[in-house]
Amino acid sequence: MQISTTRFGNITIDECRVIQMKGGGILGFEHLKRYVLLTQNENTPFLWLQSIDDGSIAFVVINPFIVTPEYDLMISDNDTRFLEIESPDDGVLLSIVTIRSNPFKVTANLRAPLVINQKNRFGKQVILNESDYPVQYSLAVDSVPTERSLRERKEKHSDIKNLSTALT
Amino acid sequence: MLILTRKLGQAIRIGNEIKITITDIKGKQIRVGIEAPEKMAVHREEVYEVIQKQNILAAESGMTHDDNLSNLWTQLTKKEKET
Repeated sequence: MQISTTRFGNITIDECRVIQMKGGGILGFEHLKRYVLLTQNENTPFLWLQSIDDGSIAFVVINPFIVTPEYDLMISDNDTRFLEIESPDDGVLLSIVTIRSNPFKVTANLRAPLVINQKNRFGKQVILNESDYPVQYSLAVDSVPTERSLRERKEKHSDIKNLSTALT
Repeated sequence: MLILTRKLGQAIRIGNEIKITITDIKGKQIRVGIEAPEKMAVHREEVYEVIQKQNILAAESGMTHDDNLSNLWTQLTKKEKET
């Protein structure tokens, strides 16, 4: 399938790479149901979630475990059933990133991650009602960054490469 | 807007798939039980609005060219190394 996008021009994508947003999809973008995950640069953990239905809409996304390795969440049975997720390994998480001109003000939404079943490619933005994770979580490391947090991020980064290969 | 008065334990039906039951009343707080199909997203309004606004902001911010994204990552990780 060929789609025309604002950022990447005309791109050809395989039907099997289409991610189908179910239910309310991405809040505020309920009318856009089909997306494709694009890796533009292997050296960053950022990916683009490009809308297929509207070529001008694309979100920068990141694996929330890169942002904070201790990310901890509970997906409701309703949601796992809805997305037909049978094992935890099927679920892939992505956080929507808000870019700002000051790089240290860039944030990721940890409160409402996208959950995607990598088997059937059904996805949904899930709101974690029981958690305190912020909608704007700074990507600049917490006040005192350590060698350890850097190493953890780098390790997670190689994980997401595998993971994005699965989805892209 | 349709306004209905309900007592504790009473319910409202919307179409044939949605049922909202008043399960508890304490002062100014009311607990409601919502039964709806899984495909229907049910959210607290104020939370819904915050997430929606952030998504719109993110979609607008995503105009950045990809080169900037790799620069951004370099900068974010470099800051850690320096510290």
